[in-house]
Amino acid sequence: MSLIAVVLMVFVGLPHVTSATAQQMPPPQALKNEGIATPGGSVRPPVGAVNLPGSASSVRRPGDPAAGGSVPPPDHARGDQSISDEFWSRIRHGQRGDVVLHSPGNRVLIQSSGEDWRLLRNRQVARYGAMALLGVLAAIVLFYLLRGRIKIKGGRTGRVIPRFSLAQRITHWFAATLVVLLGISGLIILFGKSILLPVLGPQAFSLVASAAMQGHNLFGPLFLAAVLGLLVFFLKGNVPRAVDVSWFFKGGGLLGGHASAGKYNAGQKIWFLLTIVLGFAICVSGFVLLFPDALADRTQAQLANLAHGIAALIFIAAGLGHAYIGSLGMEGAFEAMSVGTVDENWAKEHHDLWYAEHKGEATTDYVRAEVSAGAAGDGLMRGVRP
Amino acid sequence: MTAQPGEIAPDERPVNVKAAIDKMEALLGGHMAAYLDACVHCGQCAQACHFHEATQNPRYTPALKLQPMTRVYRRNMAPFSGLRKALGMAPEITEADLRDWEPLIFDTCTMCGRCTIVCPMAIDIASVVAATRQAFVAAGLGPPDLLQAADNARDKGSPLGVTPEVLEDRVEWLADDNEVEIALDKDKADVLLTVSSIEMMKYPDSVVAMAKLLNGAGVDWTLSSKGYEATNFGVLSGKGDVARIMVERIAAGAEAVGAKTVVVPECGHAYGVLRWSGANLLGRELPFEVLHITEYLAALKRQGKLKFKPYDAQAVTYHDPCQISRRGGATADARYLLEGFATDFREMTPTGNYNWCCGGGGGVQAMGSAADVRHEVFRIKMAQVEATGAPALVSACANCRLTMDESKKALAWDKELLSIVELLADNLDNPASDTPATD
Amino acid sequence: MIKFIEGPLWYVALTVFIVGVAWRLMALLTMKRPNDLSEARLPRGGAGGALKALVQHSIPHGGNLGRTLYHFLTGYMFHIGLFILVLFAAPHVEFIQKHLIGADIGWPKLPRWAFIIAAEAAFAGLILLYVHRLTDPVKKQLSDIDDHLGVWLTFIVMLTGCLALQEAHAGLRAFHMLSVEALLIYLPFSRLIHAFTFAFARARTGATYGRRGFTP
Repeated sequence: MSLIAVVLMVFVGLPHVTSATAQQMPPPQALKNEGIATPGGSVRPPVGAVNLPGSASSVRRPGDPAAGGSVPPPDHARGDQSISDEFWSRIRHGQRGDVVLHSPGNRVLIQSSGEDWRLLRNRQVARYGAMALLGVLAAIVLFYLLRGRIKIKGGRTGRVIPRFSLAQRITHWFAATLVVLLGISGLIILFGKSILLPVLGPQAFSLVASAAMQGHNLFGPLFLAAVLGLLVFFLKGNVPRAVDVSWFFKGGGLLGGHASAGKYNAGQKIWFLLTIVLGFAICVSGFVLLFPDALADRTQAQLANLAHGIAALIFIAAGLGHAYIGSLGMEGAFEAMSVGTVDENWAKEHHDLWYAEHKGEATTDYVRAEVSAGAAGDGLMRGVRP
Repeated sequence: MTAQPGEIAPDERPVNVKAAIDKMEALLGGHMAAYLDACVHCGQCAQACHFHEATQNPRYTPALKLQPMTRVYRRNMAPFSGLRKALGMAPEITEADLRDWEPLIFDTCTMCGRCTIVCPMAIDIASVVAATRQAFVAAGLGPPDLLQAADNARDKGSPLGVTPEVLEDRVEWLADDNEVEIALDKDKADVLLTVSSIEMMKYPDSVVAMAKLLNGAGVDWTLSSKGYEATNFGVLSGKGDVARIMVERIAAGAEAVGAKTVVVPECGHAYGVLRWSGANLLGRELPFEVLHITEYLAALKRQGKLKFKPYDAQAVTYHDPCQISRRGGATADARYLLEGFATDFREMTPTGNYNWCCGGGGGVQAMGSAADVRHEVFRIKMAQVEATGAPALVSACANCRLTMDESKKALAWDKELLSIVELLADNLDNPASDTPATD
Repeated sequence: MIKFIEGPLWYVALTVFIVGVAWRLMALLTMKRPNDLSEARLPRGGAGGALKALVQHSIPHGGNLGRTLYHFLTGYMFHIGLFILVLFAAPHVEFIQKHLIGADIGWPKLPRWAFIIAAEAAFAGLILLYVHRLTDPVKKQLSDIDDHLGVWLTFIVMLTGCLALQEAHAGLRAFHMLSVEALLIYLPFSRLIHAFTFAFARARTGATYGRRGFTP
């Protein structure tokens, strides 16, 4: 019944009501001050009653002739529909109507699909997302236990070839830093209430959650710059070729045998694609979430939230694999992105086609090689010196 | 790994670390401390340094050259040094450290000052290096050939062995051969001309050229066997006593002939040392003014005492010797001399006060161990000249000239290297007299 | 704990900072300095040179901007972003007016969007600078523990500050205060003193070489 008062507020056009507080009920006093009679001080008229005899400005059915000398309705009263169960039902299920104060999202009083969103997010997305992450972690641990660190078969030759330019490495680590900061804060936002709250208790958790939210919102826009940077500096060489198909079906050589690859193998190209596609999806949905009030419909923000979460979970899962292989998982891989050079044998073994093109650059002068990696110019910005 | 220049296989030289530390403490002061406490390790100095630029070796980052002084400063003199020492945060420097730093302090620094331009803190690394060299020498380190040059200067009068006797001989020979009066040991003269060993021994034409020009302008000048050597290998090698002796001799020469002006020949550091450090080395204000030959000739040109036929044989570009331009403040006069003289004059890029060093200054030319890196550095100058399209490069420093000559041969470069005084003398338009003015 | 951080520890940190910086700067200014007996090319060339160097060295000049562009851009993104945050972020202005000045003097406060932009510029600058320090061969040679500590401490100060942006939790604010106090205590003994000594070094070079006729 209190909802009737809300309807009345809207339709009679109380100036107290703003878009931000559309869902809030003004206190009874406000209603009283506006002259809506509340017999006996209660907000709720008796069930079934519409006209209240003896009050100065009675609540009455709009369109009804004034009864017993009551005041005519205010000028901005609208509509001639009765407040029937059916009308209420339509509002309850997200009907969009006319409102006096035009702010985005205001036209829907009760966004009932939001409940579906909430359940989807807290049940399916969180659950399957957690499974995916834990699954990937388990798979990594298992892989390490069974296969161990993938060593360079022929051993190191002591000669290195420049592989990644300084611009590429800086862009990569800039992006990686942001992914760590955003990933941790994002996971807290998604899973915090179910995982951390029971452990930390409400006081400490609200602190953590607030911190996560603020940090996540602040670093988010920088991630767009990082994704663009990755696109610019890593596009060259990451376009799919025929050799990638055979690499893929050979499992990258994991199942024995040799798989040919250029500068980037099929796995890396998939990771690049995921990064760019998911990265952009995360950024676009992220921006929507930063400015939810800019949208006409709360539904869009909810969709963005789901897209953001799902994309991010897939990205983090794949990212865990990427980080593993690039560090612990494969000998000789990390230095490619830290100092920019790789051992000759590593190159021959894992990127033989790329090695064939660059083997003339192999040198024992590590300093020279690292510096020339800065000028290697792979990628679109050849010769740019950070 | 390729061998680094200046890397000497473990040698037998005994190293007195304490002497180095004591010397550094003696030389440290508020002027240097301001620098040592300002470096934030941003590394931008490397981008301006020709040694780093030519080799891309991060070891040649100029800021690393501050380390010896900084370590001693932090341990002994800096605010809170006691605290640092107590916490083990200020280790004493060791013999291994000194040997490790040696090529950075000697072979790969010409004290040209380019790093200072780009440093956000404007740290004068060159002056810290000059002081640090003194500490290394006190410890018994330093390139032997450079130190020998300083000893020659002290004992014989010049780093290349030009004793007063040799001076007299060569002057006589040059004067006869070229039919030019070259005054030596006049009783009195307004101007004392000094010469550099490199000119006397390797480019004697420039000595003749200076004589011709001064005579042509009617200047009352002379050389003096009491003080003739303009170069100061004491400063270059870090031998403070030799540095002082060389300045004292020039002062003695000026005093002997009553000269009010001392002219420094085509040499960069000779100008920088005498003009800006001379008084401090002597401990008293100099009783004469010091001018580089280009400054003096420019003054004469302004007074109308020197006129030149235009030089149109070929296009030329100009190399600014660091110690005269950037470190000396006398950049403009060389161009004033070329103005209206060289008909096709082209500036290289960068130029003037921001020009690249030739790579041989600061005594580096005298270090055999630095030859390879010097030739690499010269490629920068080559690229600059080639970009102008000029077939010839003019300069006003015999050390630059010698450095560039050696590298030119090593790299088979086909451009010409010219001396500004020789060029001017060859095109002098008032051969009024070949005899210097008499009293 | 929070009371301690926002009470006594704050005063201790502030004192260490002020006394430490003053001591270090005074020591630098009073250290013996050699006299220059050479004749200046221009009268008062030294003073002019000092001023010129103070201003000029804020931008890599002499044709060197192109070769130091990355450092120049990221460096200023960080420094300018940080200064704007420190001086004009609304919570800081309130703090300064309440605790340091003691009165509301109408110090301007940033609107939230401006704060976000300044904060992102500062973070991006700092992260890009630090990643460069870890990967660039020149900086790798040069860097020592002081450099790394300085960066991490500054990053933590900035991060805790932004995590407390909702301004709804005393605990988050206390974390920020604690990291600020750590920075204040660390600064006088570290390379972060460059915030003050940059002026001394620039002025020194300008004074020395201004006398000679060219300020590098």
